[in-house]
Amino acid sequence: MSAENTTFFTSGADAISRTIDVQQESTPAEDLDNFYEIERTIAEILAGDYKRVALQFPDELLHDSVPIYRRLKAGIGLGRELYVLADTSYGSCCVDEVAAQHVDADAMVHYGYACMSQTSRLPVIYVFGKKPIDVEDCAQRVSQVFDGTSACLRYDVAYAHQAESIAAALHQALHVPISLAPSQKSSETPSDSESEVSSIIYIGGENLGLTNLLITHSTCNVYSYDPLTTSARIESTRTNRLLMRRYATVQKARDADVFGILVGTLGVASYLPLITHLRALLARAHKKSYTLSVGKLNPAKLANFAEIECFVLVACPENSLVEARDFLRPIITPFELEVALRADRSWTGRYVLDFEKLLAESKSDGEDAPPPPPDSDSDSDNDPDRPVFSLITGTYRQAKRFGLPSKGKDTAASPSPSDEVILRNQDTAVALKDSAGAQFFQERTFRGLEARVGEDAPSVLEQGRSGVARGYGDDHREE
Amino acid sequence: MVNFTVDEIRGLMDKPTNIRNMSVIAHVDHGKSTLTDSLVSKAGIIAHANAGNARYMDTRQDEKDRGITIKSTAISMYFKIPDEDLSAVEVKQKTSGTEFLINLIDSPGHVDFSSEVTAALRVTDGALVVVDTIDGVCVQTETVLRQALGERIKPVVIINKVDRALLELQVSKEDLYQSFARTVESVNVIISTYHDAALGDVQVFPEKGTVAFGSGLHGWAFTLRQFATRYAKKFGTDKDKMMTRLWGDHFFNPATKKWGTKSTDAEGKPLERCFNMFVLDPIYKIFANVMDFKKEQVFTMLDKLDIKLDQSERELEGKKLLKAIMQKFLPAGDSLLDMIVIHLPSAATAQKYRVETLYEGPMDDESAIGIRDCDPKGPLVLYVSKMVPTSDKGRFYAFGRIFSGTVRSGPKIRIQGPNYIPGKKDDLFVKSIQRTVLMMGRYIEPLEDCPAGNIVGLVGIDQFLLKSGTLTSSETAHNMRVMRFSVSPVVQVAVEVKNAADLPKLVEGLKRLSKSDPCVQTWIAETGEHIVAGAGELHLEICLKDLEEDHAGVPLKKSDPVVPYRETVAAESSIVALSKSQNKHNRLYVKAMPLGEELTKAIEDGKVNPRDDFKIRARVLADEFGWDVTDARKIWAFGPDTTGPNLLVDVTKGVQYLAEIKDSCVAGLQWAAKEGVCAEENMRGVRFNLMDVTLHADAIHRGGGQLIPTTRRVMYAACLLAQPTLQEPVYLVEIQCPENAIGGVYSCLNTRRGQVFSEEQRIGTPMFTIKAYLPVAESFGFNGALRQATSGQAFPQSVFDHWELMQGSPLDKGSKLEELVTVIRKRKGLKPEIPGLDNYYDKL
Repeated sequence: MSAENTTFFTSGADAISRTIDVQQESTPAEDLDNFYEIERTIAEILAGDYKRVALQFPDELLHDSVPIYRRLKAGIGLGRELYVLADTSYGSCCVDEVAAQHVDADAMVHYGYACMSQTSRLPVIYVFGKKPIDVEDCAQRVSQVFDGTSACLRYDVAYAHQAESIAAALHQALHVPISLAPSQKSSETPSDSESEVSSIIYIGGENLGLTNLLITHSTCNVYSYDPLTTSARIESTRTNRLLMRRYATVQKARDADVFGILVGTLGVASYLPLITHLRALLARAHKKSYTLSVGKLNPAKLANFAEIECFVLVACPENSLVEARDFLRPIITPFELEVALRADRSWTGRYVLDFEKLLAESKSDGEDAPPPPPDSDSDSDNDPDRPVFSLITGTYRQAKRFGLPSKGKDTAASPSPSDEVILRNQDTAVALKDSAGAQFFQERTFRGLEARVGEDAPSVLEQGRSGVARGYGDDHREE
Repeated sequence: MVNFTVDEIRGLMDKPTNIRNMSVIAHVDHGKSTLTDSLVSKAGIIAHANAGNARYMDTRQDEKDRGITIKSTAISMYFKIPDEDLSAVEVKQKTSGTEFLINLIDSPGHVDFSSEVTAALRVTDGALVVVDTIDGVCVQTETVLRQALGERIKPVVIINKVDRALLELQVSKEDLYQSFARTVESVNVIISTYHDAALGDVQVFPEKGTVAFGSGLHGWAFTLRQFATRYAKKFGTDKDKMMTRLWGDHFFNPATKKWGTKSTDAEGKPLERCFNMFVLDPIYKIFANVMDFKKEQVFTMLDKLDIKLDQSERELEGKKLLKAIMQKFLPAGDSLLDMIVIHLPSAATAQKYRVETLYEGPMDDESAIGIRDCDPKGPLVLYVSKMVPTSDKGRFYAFGRIFSGTVRSGPKIRIQGPNYIPGKKDDLFVKSIQRTVLMMGRYIEPLEDCPAGNIVGLVGIDQFLLKSGTLTSSETAHNMRVMRFSVSPVVQVAVEVKNAADLPKLVEGLKRLSKSDPCVQTWIAETGEHIVAGAGELHLEICLKDLEEDHAGVPLKKSDPVVPYRETVAAESSIVALSKSQNKHNRLYVKAMPLGEELTKAIEDGKVNPRDDFKIRARVLADEFGWDVTDARKIWAFGPDTTGPNLLVDVTKGVQYLAEIKDSCVAGLQWAAKEGVCAEENMRGVRFNLMDVTLHADAIHRGGGQLIPTTRRVMYAACLLAQPTLQEPVYLVEIQCPENAIGGVYSCLNTRRGQVFSEEQRIGTPMFTIKAYLPVAESFGFNGALRQATSGQAFPQSVFDHWELMQGSPLDKGSKLEELVTVIRKRKGLKPEIPGLDNYYDKL
């Protein structure tokens, strides 16, 4: 044990020296110019006359940042500043505009895989990195599994440079019309022309982009070709299962009364209107909502908000679908929340991840049908107290209703307390009506320090523990 | 012609001493519904000629088609007994007048529908147990009888289908007597295992009039009381004395006209038993003469017995004539009514002793007193035991019994669901009843109000209760105890709509299905499948049919049936499992060990209950299950769903801040116990000992976020270290078959991992009764296979019996259990392998 252990805090040195596991795909120096499109980048910076440019790298490309910086710096000349940004708070596929604003940048260069979500603040230059692909092999392998009349080509952005030639090769091999996705956006919902297309061919490895493609195009057959393993297969068999799992999650959301809106992006355009919309939606349904920003999600962070029963993640489409197996509470997307809360929206298998589209849709049919005035109907069919059948537990549950007008007709068991008087229950704890936190607190067995005056016998002073929390001196070392 | 009016019934409702609430219970095909017809016809609801064929109480089309009862059905009937019988009633209990209201519930006999029986028993005070003369006491007879006794319900017995013994088996009088005696004895063997001082001795004795004999099909039955009345006049002796002489070892010497208990006279010549001589003899003679077409002798006998047939009846022949004669000679309705009125308790009598077992609250609060006194002016206490579909689709009558007070439409009452806790607001609604109705089998009659002691249907509260619950007007009232079912939903089927647009209808249908049956469960699995779970194949078949045709009304796709498993551990964790929180600053040390089957069952049966006072519970655990008292007092939680049979026990010593993390650990247990480590099935019978805890000194670093996931991980690690294994549900199968079919039965069971543990011949018949354990997973299609293997001679009845530990370990590569776990994991869309220990176990 060194002297370090006698202090209560470590120096923090190991946090700096901690190694992160990333796949070292080092790019040879001669390929660097081509792979990272140095020339194009320089040209665009000069064309836009940007003075301060932020460079955003994902973890796995960080090792190339220094040579890239040097080459760019050399190209753009004096008077312009370049900054390399540290890891983002959210998914590295998204453009971290907030981090760029810290250095007061007027443009960004985003390296590596990108979800291509629309940004709101800064001009962005995307550099995907040109990954190699064997076009001939691709066309041949896909033709072995493909079975359809028309197809739409989608690809991982790293293969964008070859998209045209792949489409041509596929057209030759399959003898069916191949439409190329019009924009570069890989994960977006089908435009009108695409909706008639029966199949989709995806070029790229297994990643969230492919999952999104599957879930948003559940009616199409999706074929994938992975240039790394050079294998092609049909992916749609997974789709139904994926959608079913989401459906079960939506049912869980129906059972929740307290929601947390997780801010999972600061880059995607219209995330703020969407959050506002979600809050309004939850308030209309008399659900409690909190808005949280926790950066990258992990179970420990979210489990700290134990009174929240369901989370809604507002993030870029690539990062929206979180497999919540390790999380205590379900995490759903804004679209799923709409399905869960609005009676007129039922689960049809259609799935929307795009914010704009979601907002537009809910505007159009949300405004048309204002919610029925509460309590106007004395018929018990519309009784707001009526319990709902929960499909998760198979029993009735009574929803807690938050944000009710305080002087509304209170049909509950006890007469409603007036606003001026706060109820105290027998535990002398303040029972705040309409507060999810207080209600949750009432259910806990531990409610903070209790002054057990005279209840415990005084004890003898003992030698306490020593060391740091990561490993105290007397902590089962011998075992 | 119905010979009573609703007004008459309503009038009688105010006299709880003259109300008999009773259910008819028995094994399948022993003749409950047929026998019930006799009473229904006596009440004039159906014609006498149809009694025995109408099965009036089978109201559903599929019940009529299949010839089995599926739902229990209630009917209220008005009877007036002859004035001379009144004294016999008054000896037993307080009575006012000779008019009686009988609320009768006919229940299904198939084991798959046992939950219907439970719901029926709850609202009744007496039970008419029907036993087949030839089959005797069968598995379901025993199950329902035990349930009845557990609910403090007094039984009377009728031995049915006596005509078969006479006509088909042609047994001698003495053999028939012996067979009756054996049946009565086997019923009493079951009853005598229940010692309940409050209920008193409820064994049944023919000489006391609590056993009847008869034939539901032919519409005749008798108790010894009827014969005793007849002979008491003739011999000029006391009726009660006569009754004792008519049963057991009592013999009559016709030469000396002396009664005795020896089977031989002074010279050693055999004497005839009184029962055979005075009771069976006339019946045998009628049977013999009618079936031999000796009409002359028949009519002279009829004159002697004072039986008058009308002209058309006199022209009948064979069985039809027999039926006509016997119905006149010994009308079943009369004897049953006699037995019911005299020997079954009135609502007023029964509630005095039933209140303790029915009511959860203290015995001296206003509700308990109201129940005890069956007081129509007391606070309302009403238990809804099931929901009955109305003609209005999707709506239900809440069917229940008023134990105290008077129910009427209008005033607001408290509707307390099964999870209601006094003083809290969960599962509580304050609403008013829209209408009260009288349930009359196939139709209903509106009622203004209905006082304590009666069975009633309620309109307008079905939306607040899923299956059952307590209604009350008292703010202090506790719940009525929830019903415990003898069957569990151990067979599951996933359903999906053929047409995606029908999904909302399916969801609504699942809710209605769940309401309409006390036992069925419906939910959505993690995988997004809609699951319907029932007690057995037949039960599921009926439920799915109802769902498809009625509740949802949309075409459905059904998966093959699946069986739920339970995860458990076979040993104590080999080492203490350690997991660190994500910030590495908190460490939990946990050991897992088996809880023991007895305690597990006790928790499942509600005998050891998380709602009990912890000191009393600790005493029970120490006395009955050998626990250390200090450990037993530190049970933190039951899981899953806060009531399940897995425990988290705090055995730490002197840990700081421990109280603070209790909520987090409890949440972790609920999570882990719901999704076990092997296959994400529920855990069962696992005890987790929290051995030690190291916590960060700052509260912010030991919050739920750090500890809930860690508790789950450490429990998984502890399970993996404690020989994790699975339990599968096992049926008890009772098979009745003739001797030559036994071979087929055995081979059929052997191929399905069945284990025979009893094989008995039913004395006096060629029939064998085989009892075996059969894993539910192997039971699909068993009935069909058995029928094939025995050319349809064997009849099985399967009822869930227990969870059986499966052999082997899912951690052994290539083992059967590993295969099973892989299949389950794949079905749930998990990685096929069980996660390794190092996913959950952390090194210090």
